Amino acid sequence: MAHVWPIGGGKGGSGKSFITSSLGRLSAELGKKTLIIDLDLGAANLHTLVGVPDPQKGFSDFIRKKIPLLEDTVVETPSANLFLISGAHDNFDIANLSYEQKIRTLRAIAKLDFDRILLDLGAGTSFNTLDFFLISQNGIFITTPEPTSVENVYRLIRSIYFRRIRYCFNVTEFKELEVEADRQFGDGSFNRPDSLMKVISRTHPEKYTQLNIEFDAFRFKLIINQVRKHDNAALGLQMCRMMDKHLGLNMEFLGNVAYDEHVHDAICQQVSFLERYPYTKTATDLREIGKQIVESAGRQLTLRYM
Amino acid sequence: MRKDFDQLNYYEMLDIKPDAVPYEIRHAYNAALQLYQPGSLVSYSFFSDGERRAILSLVEKAYQTLINDQSRKDYDATLISRGEIEARDESAPDLKKPVSVFHISRGPAARTVFISSDALKNKISQSRIITDILAQSELSGEDLKQIRTELGLTIEHIAEETKIRVNNIRSIEEGQAEQMPPAVFLKGFVKSYLKCLGLDSVEELSARYMNTVSRPK
Repeated sequence: MAHVWPIGGGKGGSGKSFITSSLGRLSAELGKKTLIIDLDLGAANLHTLVGVPDPQKGFSDFIRKKIPLLEDTVVETPSANLFLISGAHDNFDIANLSYEQKIRTLRAIAKLDFDRILLDLGAGTSFNTLDFFLISQNGIFITTPEPTSVENVYRLIRSIYFRRIRYCFNVTEFKELEVEADRQFGDGSFNRPDSLMKVISRTHPEKYTQLNIEFDAFRFKLIINQVRKHDNAALGLQMCRMMDKHLGLNMEFLGNVAYDEHVHDAICQQVSFLERYPYTKTATDLREIGKQIVESAGRQLTLRYM
Repeated sequence: MRKDFDQLNYYEMLDIKPDAVPYEIRHAYNAALQLYQPGSLVSYSFFSDGERRAILSLVEKAYQTLINDQSRKDYDATLISRGEIEARDESAPDLKKPVSVFHISRGPAARTVFISSDALKNKISQSRIITDILAQSELSGEDLKQIRTELGLTIEHIAEETKIRVNNIRSIEEGQAEQMPPAVFLKGFVKSYLKCLGLDSVEELSARYMNTVSRPK
């Protein structure tokens, strides 16, 4: 099974697609057969970033069953070793995948034959994003050093946490849990994953243990993007510490990526930033992170809950 | 699921080891403030106002407890009784004392080759030659040599004891101005030499020697 790296970050414009495309290129350069999938459903533009402005097939062909196998929707990119499943010509209702479609997609992704698969996920905390995140233990979160972005990334992480708990229970059980949490911890606490976990530890001890094992297995990563010179360089490490201490989630800081005006230029010219501006701080940062990702070989989460 | 923040002990709250020194405690406290204080980007939107206040007051309490030696000792005692930390070796670390740059062993063992100063004084008072020399108004290098041989000491003995180089001692005894070390050093050398011979009134004798030597012949 390939290493799947979902990349998300809650807030729009934090550089998810740019980082996905850059990491994809780097991984391909380092000799890994790499696939990037545009799962920013309804707002896809990864194809533009990797130099395939008009892909002939894409993800929606698989959803509409025009192409039965997901691997047949893969298109080549100008870079060697780098492949793309594009969302360019998605139909307009693609943003709202049905449950069956989503499960079909998740299973198909798990079966793809690539060394590395990067998923470019959309902003927000729709169920699509959360479920694609939960496909792997190696989710990468991208945030910028701004309150808006930090807020959204915390929100996304809590939502994923919550979603995972939700999978363990059926509707009535979950409703009971919420009521119980509300009773014990006061108003609004049904919305807090840690309070829910405390209730579960008493009402469903065996599920609590299982969930704990799974949360412990998560190896989430954090990238701080668009770091200006005067920004706090330790922000990433501090955020990881917060997550570990107050949510009990393992989170690894991968690194800062410096802000650079040239990223905008490269995107406008539709060329690879890493090739056009290889000696910038930003490119060095990206290469550093890319190396870590290519070298890491963590165990993959099996899709047990599907 | 790990322990809640308010269930942690003060060391865990500040992320330090139970044997942290005050410097580390202060550092950890500042780091915690950076995380939790209102307006911190790290914990933006992470806590409600109430939670943040609760956490900050806990951090403050942890710091105040640990930074004070007495309250920290009391707190450690409760943690030890609860089995959360192990008892520490309470002995304070050895204070650093100034280290001598030249480690000259002046212990009794190194001195056994020399005659004790009491015996020297005895000899001086008994020897007619030495009393005669000391009675003179002048004191030349030759006189010093005579005292030394009378006491049965070699130049090497003197050199060993005073750490003055053998050729310097020799030049003092020979009284040749051009071979002698500069006057500043010479004065000191002569004093140690005289002291080593076990003579009294070293100041006065060294002044007498300096006068004798510096007088043009």
